[in-house]
Amino acid sequence: MTGNAGLTTFGSMDAAAIAIVLASLVLAATLLGVLHRTTQGRARTIPARWNTDARIVSIEGVSLGERATLLQFSTEVCAPCKSTARVLDDLAARTENVTHVDLDVTHRPDLASRYRVLQTPTTLILDSYGAVRARIGGAVRRDIVVAELQKVLAA
Amino acid sequence: MTASSTSSVPTSTAKGIDPRGPRFTAAVVAILFLVDIALGLVGLTNPAAATAALGLAIFNAAVFLWAAIRGVQHHPYGLFFKKVIRPRLAPPVELEDPIPPTFAQGVGLFVTALGIGLFFVFGPIALVVAGAAAFVAAFLNSVFAYCLGCQIYLFLARAGVLGRKRPAAA
Repeated sequence: MTGNAGLTTFGSMDAAAIAIVLASLVLAATLLGVLHRTTQGRARTIPARWNTDARIVSIEGVSLGERATLLQFSTEVCAPCKSTARVLDDLAARTENVTHVDLDVTHRPDLASRYRVLQTPTTLILDSYGAVRARIGGAVRRDIVVAELQKVLAA
Repeated sequence: MTASSTSSVPTSTAKGIDPRGPRFTAAVVAILFLVDIALGLVGLTNPAAATAALGLAIFNAAVFLWAAIRGVQHHPYGLFFKKVIRPRLAPPVELEDPIPPTFAQGVGLFVTALGIGLFFVFGPIALVVAGAAAFVAAFLNSVFAYCLGCQIYLFLARAGVLGRKRPAAA
């Protein structure tokens, strides 16, 4: 910084500092966005042997599929839930004895806590016993759901 | 080939909007908040810039308020997108529910109003901090289609702030 600060409202260093702040913000937001994008739709497979009675999903009024269930948790305010519902609906329609259930947890916070729904949509893939075999956070990717579903149906 | 699928989704049947509209809107908002942050930083030592930063924050808050109350379909930047930009683009692949982006306007209003309120306590740095939060949310929404409002809505629902009134309809 030079001495004649009185001549300009802010010196050139200040302008550079502001540019650095703004650039860092854009960079930080971009990193957050990339991180979010890479974690979206990833499946966490849960081996069948880990399943105990406590892992069996049983929700009043919800009937599960004979071979598998695609259990989706949504809320009223959820932009990616619709596209996820469309993918899961379509997969369920194409696969015999596989059901897609879309649960709105807006009015059922108890279900959101019980199944640890931390983002919408969250999709659980259940086997014929209703045991959770995979968990997918965020908008689903068709190929990933198909792969997880295959594992469940193969057993 | 829309609507009326089989499942038990009680989501809104309101007419869908072009999802690119809210993302365009978010881009404009993100840029305005970057400008506001810059003004706020200059305003740390320059009262005129501080006033300008406050003015822009109030303008942003007013736009959020308008869109939150009237619905995102009536968002001024959204209308600009609809009238000027959308006719030059291919039709949207799919339509989006207007409820999430409308809720997001309310979230934006809350953050911006908080910054304006704290401006009178802490000065322009409050606008910088609130502006940074609003920028990140708008940027993620615009560039990555990330819906922060959806996340906040879920946490409000889980906290029991929302939607205890009626039990889940079958």
